[in-house]
Amino acid sequence: MSDFYRLTKTDWDSALRSFISHYTILAPVEEEGHIDYTPIDEEDVERITYNKPKPTTPLKTLLLPVKESLADPSSPENPWLIMGIPACDLHAKSLLDQFYLDPEYPDPFYKNRTENSIFIGTDCHGHQEHCHCTSYGFKPYPTANDDIHLVRHGTDVYVSPVTEKGEKFIEKLSGSTNLSKCDQSAIDWIESKRKETVEDLDEHNKNLPGYEKSGELINASDEEIWKEYGDDCVSCGACATICPTCTCFLLIDKPGLLKQRQVDACQYPAFEKVAAGEDPLDALHKRFSNRYMCKYVWRPERFEELACTGCGRCIEACIGGINKNELIKELANNA
Amino acid sequence: MKDHKNIYLPIKAEVTEVIDESPTIKSFVLKPEHEFAFKTGQFIELTLDNIGEAPFTPSSSPLVTDEMQVTIMKTGYVTDRIHEFKGGEIVGIRGPYGRGYPLEDMFGKELLVLGGGCGFAPLRSLLYNLSAEQDKIEKLTFCYGSKTPGECIFKPYIDELRQVPKFEVLRSVDKVEEGEEWNEDVGVVTCLLDKIEVNVPNSVAVVCGPPIMMKFGTYKLLEMGFPEDKIYLSMEKNMSCGLGKCGHCMMGKYFVCKDGPVFTYEEIKDQPDIWK
Ligand code: SF4
Ligand code: SF4
Ligand code: FES
Repeated sequence: MSDFYRLTKTDWDSALRSFISHYTILAPVEEEGHIDYTPIDEEDVERITYNKPKPTTPLKTLLLPVKESLADPSSPENPWLIMGIPACDLHAKSLLDQFYLDPEYPDPFYKNRTENSIFIGTDCHGHQEHCHCTSYGFKPYPTANDDIHLVRHGTDVYVSPVTEKGEKFIEKLSGSTNLSKCDQSAIDWIESKRKETVEDLDEHNKNLPGYEKSGELINASDEEIWKEYGDDCVSCGACATICPTCTCFLLIDKPGLLKQRQVDACQYPAFEKVAAGEDPLDALHKRFSNRYMCKYVWRPERFEELACTGCGRCIEACIGGINKNELIKELANNA
Repeated sequence: MKDHKNIYLPIKAEVTEVIDESPTIKSFVLKPEHEFAFKTGQFIELTLDNIGEAPFTPSSSPLVTDEMQVTIMKTGYVTDRIHEFKGGEIVGIRGPYGRGYPLEDMFGKELLVLGGGCGFAPLRSLLYNLSAEQDKIEKLTFCYGSKTPGECIFKPYIDELRQVPKFEVLRSVDKVEEGEEWNEDVGVVTCLLDKIEVNVPNSVAVVCGPPIMMKFGTYKLLEMGFPEDKIYLSMEKNMSCGLGKCGHCMMGKYFVCKDGPVFTYEEIKDQPDIWK
């Protein structure tokens, strides 16, 4: 495990307050039972939640707003400090990078935003009902894609820099607070909490097929199951909007040859329709299965990477009550 | 960090001429504000200010870089509006995008080019390119089909092509309306393939046209013995960004805008909905 440093929660909170003038701080705050990434003012610092899964909306929404003007790609005034990012959202970021930081056509808006942000990942202690990251081989604690890992333990906070950006931040922190290297008992505690969460998640999802198996099942399925489950789909696109790895958008034309980007989804009618009239996704069950094929078959073929992080948000968000995992379990049972 | 290039910003181009090709098809000559090079088969995104954007493969020679032509059928919102243009209008263009025709695979070979309807547009750019490099190919047979004689486009260019020594041009129409004059073939375009001589082992085929014609054209070529990797298809899909990001053009694991629009049949035959 990488090096962790300890500081008191009181020191961390005052450091955060002092950073407010240099950074836009976005951190998870709980409101009416929902946690979400929230802009933090001085009085909000104490409301920040730690080690708790997970923001209702994904990190994606900060990096790719639902609607944005593509006129001027200059960066925001203050760098962003994004805290409390669960491992699933961090993995999703690497999947977004495949599209938006593609070396041939890097997206300047996404690039500026990510270059200007410090990503602080967090361990999940416990899980939500639909979390299934470990079934797909992911850990419920950061293993990559963040600048700093951070865990809270009672009156202490443990931080570990991962990147150069993270190191610089920790250096800044050490100027104003009392940082010491974590002793073995703290490391043991972090590890035992991690182990406990992994075991809980494994137990919770013990009947769910793994990712590759799911891909094979989905690829081999016939239309019946998509018609059956798709019957409850109202084409609202919530599953795609809330999904940390769904990347689709539409460019809308504005005066001055300018574009606006708006979140789009293959779940909406006519998403693939061409001007001459052909529409490969001309029936609801085809649109419904398209999203699963994309995540479990096509994107893995193309990028050699899973395109579902197991965050479970699409299940939470579905107005029709469609449960992706129940569908996949049914495919497995019928196989 | 203002130096990051804004990939979503078109450059300006003036419509300098509008040419009627058929009752539903017009060509637009575009003069970009600065030189704009493309490879044959690549496409551009054409913006009508504050109205919309649509992808088109230029129909002009890729060897000309100070102006280009796009040939557009009236099919919907954006194309209806551009059909109202008279010349002098300013549009936006982004690109060129995607993978065009692989000329290097065509050199030293016989070419069989199969086109239907407005599918002649991208093919004309290829034909310009190949006629300029005719010493590098064995011969070229162009089979073109359209619904009626009135809907055959690029008539003056057909006459030009017929003068090129290594080129042979055959045309067919589905039907001849009363009062129309036509002394070439009648029937679906694939029937022209029965009339030509091809040395299949040394040939490459190119197909571009409406989906149904691409499908039956491809099947016919396979029947004639063309290997799957020697049949090049230009795919038409819904597109928004042209940059491999927005997802609209997805065809299985491919983004048609970035990996295509030109594919070999071998590359795409296992992907979903290729003829839709
Ligand atoms: S498909 Fe569902 S579970 Fe998978 S990453 Fe998207 S929202 Fe999360
Ligand atoms: S899916 Fe895993 S990593 Fe994501 S919030 Fe749930 S427990 Fe944490
Ligand atoms: S048109 Fe946007 S990904 Fe191809």
